Amino acid sequence: MNGWMGKILRVDLGSGKISTERLDPQLARDYLGARGLGTKIMWDEVDPNVDPLSPANKLIFAPGPFSGTFAPSSGRYDVVTKGPLTGTIAASNSGGSFGAELKFAGWDVVILEGKAAKPSYLWICDDAVELRDASHLWGKDVPTTTEMLYGETSEDAKVACIGPAGEKLVLFASVMNEMQRAAGRTGVGAVMGSKNLKAIAVRGTQGVDVADKDAFVAACGEASRKIKEHPVGGTGLRLYGTDVLVNILNSVGGLPTNNFQTGHFPTADKVGGESLAAKQLQRPRGCFACIISCGRGTKVTNPKYKGEGEGPEYETAWGFGPDCGIDDLDAVTKANYWCNELGLDTISMGGTVACAVEMFSKGIITLKDTEGLDLSPGNAEAMVEAVRLTGVGEGFGKKLALGSWRLASIYGHPELSMTAKKQEMPAYEPRAVQGIGLNYATNNRGGCHVRGYTISPEVLGVPVKFDKDATEGKPELVALFQNLTAAIDSSGACLFTTFGIGADDYAAMLSALTGVAYSGDDFIKCGERVWNLERLWNNRAGFTAADDALPPRMTEEPMPTGPSKGSVSRVKEMMPKYYAVRGWDDAGRPTEEKLAELELA
Amino acid sequence: MKVRYFALLRDATGKREEVWTRPAPDVRTLMHDLVARYDEPFAKWVMVGDALAPFVAVLLDGKDVRDRGGLDCSLDGVAEVDIFPPLAGG
Repeated sequence: MNGWMGKILRVDLGSGKISTERLDPQLARDYLGARGLGTKIMWDEVDPNVDPLSPANKLIFAPGPFSGTFAPSSGRYDVVTKGPLTGTIAASNSGGSFGAELKFAGWDVVILEGKAAKPSYLWICDDAVELRDASHLWGKDVPTTTEMLYGETSEDAKVACIGPAGEKLVLFASVMNEMQRAAGRTGVGAVMGSKNLKAIAVRGTQGVDVADKDAFVAACGEASRKIKEHPVGGTGLRLYGTDVLVNILNSVGGLPTNNFQTGHFPTADKVGGESLAAKQLQRPRGCFACIISCGRGTKVTNPKYKGEGEGPEYETAWGFGPDCGIDDLDAVTKANYWCNELGLDTISMGGTVACAVEMFSKGIITLKDTEGLDLSPGNAEAMVEAVRLTGVGEGFGKKLALGSWRLASIYGHPELSMTAKKQEMPAYEPRAVQGIGLNYATNNRGGCHVRGYTISPEVLGVPVKFDKDATEGKPELVALFQNLTAAIDSSGACLFTTFGIGADDYAAMLSALTGVAYSGDDFIKCGERVWNLERLWNNRAGFTAADDALPPRMTEEPMPTGPSKGSVSRVKEMMPKYYAVRGWDDAGRPTEEKLAELELA
Repeated sequence: MKVRYFALLRDATGKREEVWTRPAPDVRTLMHDLVARYDEPFAKWVMVGDALAPFVAVLLDGKDVRDRGGLDCSLDGVAEVDIFPPLAGG
């Protein structure tokens, strides 16, 4: 096969059996790889009603056809499973080099089943695969685990691992690779921990075959040129990183502040990308084959929060910053470092702390409940300590580890959890930006911005400007972005390549790479297929139209202050049109006609 | 009226913000005056001839001019003008 390696690795962690299977070329063509292929395998093999933290759940690591090639910024992979935070299908995407190395080792998919009897790690060296004892690694943080594994396997190995958070089954624990890159959302790290799997180390010596080398070189060259010439992809992200978004979201009144109580934070600039570049940035960082380098190598010298690492990204700076009423960039970055070291999703961590802060400010929880942690709004030290406690499973951290919805429910106020399908909404206010609210509500993994990033047209004006306050055209826009993103996630490409190229460009590269003829419409259709399959999974897991919703604060409480004062999310108004655009019935279920069209019937 | 600059435009102007006292009836006048003051390092990001450059955001008290008249938007009564070069994130 070209583009794909043609092999699936299956590991039964309970029995220790390791086997190789052939990748069905038709499945590869229809689902591409990564998120798509992983979801298809979950659909075929796992009961959607399984307990996510039980041995019956499966954990899948999968790169895409582009991963490991010189397609620009295309080294990504997905971790696919049933997510413990949401109960939905979960596919968490990450960059770095791990995905490419899996391809170099000869694998399109790694399926992990059951549960190991004791802490273990998987060592993959081309075709040689071993399950090894990880008792000496259990309890270690991500950097220590990674360094130790370099010593035990190969200094050239790439390592994906969990930190203490995943071991302790924090419901939003992440899988970290190359120490600083995260498959962050929905608790995929907790699933790995539930299987007693500490890490996967991989080293490969092979290459990815290309069907038409000349055409692939040409298509990749054209794509790279477009990305570099685009003012956003070519310059802005490298200089300021994603954190540059703080100020524009604040200016339009769409920066969720104090747990989404309002959309404007007066001192937001202190935690924005400009401040980050001036005070903490050491160097930009990029992933495998990346030509954009949005990553931030940073350092904090303030003795109170001293540290070095990568980040924060925009959502992280927002979550530990304005969402908690904090404008101390050093504290924000320290919290980010804790998340990377202990293996926590920064968005859900920030959103959960913000929820706790609001409950504390309203007297719903007290110092006794928080075991002495003063979660007053703006208390940066307490916020950082809350993150650390969550990651190590101590004190009030044990309750924060449940995520905001379960935490708030314990104290009788689930309405104060700013989530969709129990996953914390990221850094864009639905009352200020109508389309992103519709995306949150309909997203197959709940509160997620990246899978339907309509902020790009609605706020940034890329590729064209849509009025953020309008509802007209938003169902179509959201569905298109969701479909395209699903295809890109399944290909191994980075979403930031969309600042430069479109479906036709991905299709040209994919066709030349694989030898399978894809048009731009075919590429998007792959994404639509994946989206609908995720929807079917969630329907079988018990999700209904009632779950396509936002917290009542978003739909019933007008924005109290700022440039978007007076607005509410009109997601309920847009939902019927969204279902119609999707080809679903009034209850939000894919129709037989739609399933037949997508070859899912 | 306060004019605020972000990202690359802070380097281009050497400022985060300034109080603008010159007459500026509309966004077009203001932008041309800013280009005249800050020249090429500023102009290359924000204007292409007499038009706003692609992906540039000009907000008048938080409202994007691209949604309501573009460069012809009046500045009458506007307290804050925020100017952003092309940005991305996610």
